[in-house]
Amino acid sequence: MRLAIVTFTLSVAVVGFTGCSSSSTDEAAATAVPAASLDGSKYLLAEEPDGAMGVIAARESAKDGDPVVIVGRIGGSDNPWIEGRAAFMLLDASKLMVAIGEDLGEEEICMDDCCAAERADCTTLVKVVDADGKLVAADSRQLLGLTSDDMVVVRGKAKKDDSDNFTVLADAVYIRR
Amino acid sequence: MAWRLLPWDYGVRNLFRRPSRSALTLGGLSIVALLVLVVVGFIRGLEASLAATGRPNVMLVYALSSGADIENSAIPGRTPALLTASVAGVRQRHGVKYVSPELYLGTRIEVGGGDGKQKGLGLVRGVTTAAPLVRQQVRIVEGAWPGVGEVLVGRLAHSKLGVAKESLAVGQQVKFDGREWTVSGIFTAGGAAYESELWCPLADLQTALKRQDLSLVAVEMETSDAAADVDLFCRERVDLELKSVAETAYYADLQKHYRPVRMLGWVVVCLVAGSGVFAGLNTMYGAVVGRIRELATLQAIGYRRRAILLTLVQEATLLSCAGALVACVLGLLFVNGTAIRFTMGAFMLRVDSVGISIACATAIILGVVGAIPPATKAMRLPVVEAIKAI
Repeated sequence: MRLAIVTFTLSVAVVGFTGCSSSSTDEAAATAVPAASLDGSKYLLAEEPDGAMGVIAARESAKDGDPVVIVGRIGGSDNPWIEGRAAFMLLDASKLMVAIGEDLGEEEICMDDCCAAERADCTTLVKVVDADGKLVAADSRQLLGLTSDDMVVVRGKAKKDDSDNFTVLADAVYIRR
Repeated sequence: MAWRLLPWDYGVRNLFRRPSRSALTLGGLSIVALLVLVVVGFIRGLEASLAATGRPNVMLVYALSSGADIENSAIPGRTPALLTASVAGVRQRHGVKYVSPELYLGTRIEVGGGDGKQKGLGLVRGVTTAAPLVRQQVRIVEGAWPGVGEVLVGRLAHSKLGVAKESLAVGQQVKFDGREWTVSGIFTAGGAAYESELWCPLADLQTALKRQDLSLVAVEMETSDAAADVDLFCRERVDLELKSVAETAYYADLQKHYRPVRMLGWVVVCLVAGSGVFAGLNTMYGAVVGRIRELATLQAIGYRRRAILLTLVQEATLLSCAGALVACVLGLLFVNGTAIRFTMGAFMLRVDSVGISIACATAIILGVVGAIPPATKAMRLPVVEAIKAI
């Protein structure tokens, strides 16, 4: 009798849980893990790779899947970081961000709408991926010790689609300091 | 020797010995407390309206070029499909994804017919049945979800439009963008900003406006951490020119815009309280000056100055507490829930525990601070001189 009651209770609980947990996603979303639990050093290069090109040049010349080495400054956006992900915005090294309202010199851009097109041409999203090509689910500031305006050289593959969206899937990063 | 206090009921009885003066003082203190309550209610209502609007896991995706204003946003109609296909972690239940495509605009709305025709600037949101999934505060309190040619009206929409509540009752007609719409129901949203909006079917609104695009997509993620993937999608798909922001962050940013208004509100609270202190001081000076002989007599029969001072403070505090109570009752009856129109829509004045505490504290401080200076001054007079005072 007691066993029957326990079995019944467990059955109800299982049915209840499965019934209420029908929320799900088609594919598993990446969940940010504490950067301390990941070894960020394997994504950092001790020496600067050769043949680095700027973001503008890479956007123009690289094709989808091409190996690329790109140099640039972290920036080009109000917030260049993707919270909880090893991804950041990279600005062509020849460009300089200035505050909205300031007079723009040559090679200077601001965050206002006037520079939106130019900003899009000289920035790219960099996603640091693991050996399986998956985005590392840890904040790049903690994982790699990056800070705003750091000059970095990223090594990886270009990802370009038919709409000309350009992203770098980086396997390693070198920080120029 | 321990000093003797005057009996508690001496102070109480004194209040009734001069009923007109007590009533006037009570009235003055009540008005001061009520003014404080109204101003705090305004600030609290505005804060609550913006705070209640956002939910932590909901991300708003809208046009990069629209600045911080969703009304100016126009994004491709295929954005919701692209978003759900590209981003993992979107909440879903029974196969339905929590993704709400919306068209949002401010437009001139005409209500009533014939001579009673009224026009006002209102907020209209074209929605699908997915909208209540991501806006879970929304409750239909009367009528039904809108069908073709119908609108669901927020309970504060009449205030935003500046029209009578009855003109937006179920079954009434409203006209905007060259089309007649029938009110199908009324909704509440827990004090959120949507309460001042009119919701209609997205496809209908797109047809009326001859638009195929959207203003925004509201998407609810399984976890707040997954919100980063929406941001990632927007930055990766540069061609779509999208940006994403957490709904809570969006409304927190709006709160910043209203910071000067809130600061001004607190300044008004301080000014009202300050003027109340001076009014209280004036009244109490009058009350004490008229009682100099009585106070001197009390000293002559052996009561110490501190005891007399204490009974004067007791009288004033009793009056101020009564004034605070009157103000709170009036506030709860007539101020609480009053709709106020502002640029974002409308919100309700809130007489809550914070407002009541501040109003009561102000009134009590008025009583205590208002009584001490005149009482101290009266106590300084020599007893012999004071007894002879007229």
